[in-house]
Amino acid sequence: MNNRIREFRARHNLTQDDLAKKVNVRRETIVFLEKNKYNPSLKLAYEIAKVFEVKIEEIFYFD
Amino acid sequence: MKKTVVLFIIGALVLITTGFWIFSGSSPVEPPELVSLVVIVLVVAFALFVGYKRLTSVKKGEPAEDEMSKKIMQKTSSLSYYISLYWWLAIMYFSDKPNFETHSIIGAGILGMAVIFAVCWLVFNFRGVRNE
Repeated sequence: MNNRIREFRARHNLTQDDLAKKVNVRRETIVFLEKNKYNPSLKLAYEIAKVFEVKIEEIFYFD
Repeated sequence: MKKTVVLFIIGALVLITTGFWIFSGSSPVEPPELVSLVVIVLVVAFALFVGYKRLTSVKKGEPAEDEMSKKIMQKTSSLSYYISLYWWLAIMYFSDKPNFETHSIIGAGILGMAVIFAVCWLVFNFRGVRNE
């Protein structure tokens, strides 16, 4: 599974720290997500989509 | 936070008891004991590193543990348990040799398990957990 978190984060002018605090995870988790080293739970994916005000499938997608 | 404090206390206790073990004996430290000492210090250093990471996360306003760190811990536990079975099997094989004392064998087993756990944790922290 791939994602466009970095792109959305840049669009919303958020740092990894900011996003981590908004979705209540550690910054490392955001780093791992952006590097595609971790697949989030449905809850975390939903939280991230909520921060960017888009649907989950706009951020997370399968190749 | 409570877990982090427990981690630091256990680390300190291990170091203190190791210190007693090393310095209470009248004979000089033998090379096998020195190897055990180095491994113990490395394992404690690893535990303190994990504790420090948790502490810095809390200080930054992040949770000490989140879903990814829990997942890494789960994966680490299961893999290190699996590898430890082989480790004990190897120890059982070598324990037949007459020059190994029982307490040394058990010590090697426990220390080995700790090292295996630390290595697995590092591997998952570098590689990540994609679950695909």
